[in-house]
Amino acid sequence: MPTEKEFQISPIVPESVMHNTKALSNLQTLTASIFGAAAGILGLESYSGFLFYFVFTLLTAVLYYTIRVAPTSLKADHPIFDTSRYFRSSFEFWTGGLLNGLAGYILTWTLFYGLVRA
Amino acid sequence: MTWLSKSTAALGFVLLTHACYSAHEHSALQSHRAASLSSSSGPTSSLPIDIAIETFVATFVIALGLVLGTSQLRPIQWRVWAGKIEREGESGFTNSSGEVEKDYVGNPFRLLESRPGFVDIRKQRKEFAAWRKETSATA
Repeated sequence: MPTEKEFQISPIVPESVMHNTKALSNLQTLTASIFGAAAGILGLESYSGFLFYFVFTLLTAVLYYTIRVAPTSLKADHPIFDTSRYFRSSFEFWTGGLLNGLAGYILTWTLFYGLVRA
Repeated sequence: MTWLSKSTAALGFVLLTHACYSAHEHSALQSHRAASLSSSSGPTSSLPIDIAIETFVATFVIALGLVLGTSQLRPIQWRVWAGKIEREGESGFTNSSGEVEKDYVGNPFRLLESRPGFVDIRKQRKEFAAWRKETSATA
């Protein structure tokens, strides 16, 4: 946990923090709706449907890390899987947006399940 | 959204639409067959494996296309962010169509730095000399 003194020595830019978290959560909300369509097409039921959502949301986070965080972060000599250049904590990066797409996911899931199953 | 991300996402959507239509046709065919044979198939029909694979591939391609279409992240440590503004100025904060992003703040001290006592006279001299050279070369 960074102390107050560490914040005085290396301060954080709040506008950047907001921009980064907004970018990630917008992406996760959008992809959640699309994953719902895929789950409806596949005809997934209760537990497997939610498992599908969590697995693919984590996959989206991994893709986002590989494409947007890793190139510049690794060039600046951060260790691998360290998101401290762009996000305040790794836990927040990987798990912060897990639940905010769930509503859109369930919406499109039930829609496509009903559509495809005639 | 660059053209690469848009085309990848569009390709993924085409695949997903195809998979959706295929699954619908498969389910309609199964229920038609069950009705004509008057034998009841289970409520969950077995989706053919190729439609399932196509759905997975389509989902992955759409996710890839959408991630490629996100904007650049901004560094959160103050010194890294300020260094980036000093070095690259506005061009480090452009979105994919080349325009400066709307919430770009810029150098937070630019009002202070433009006061007469803080003027960077060497930089202005260099700029003037370059401008002089350029106009005398064309004139």
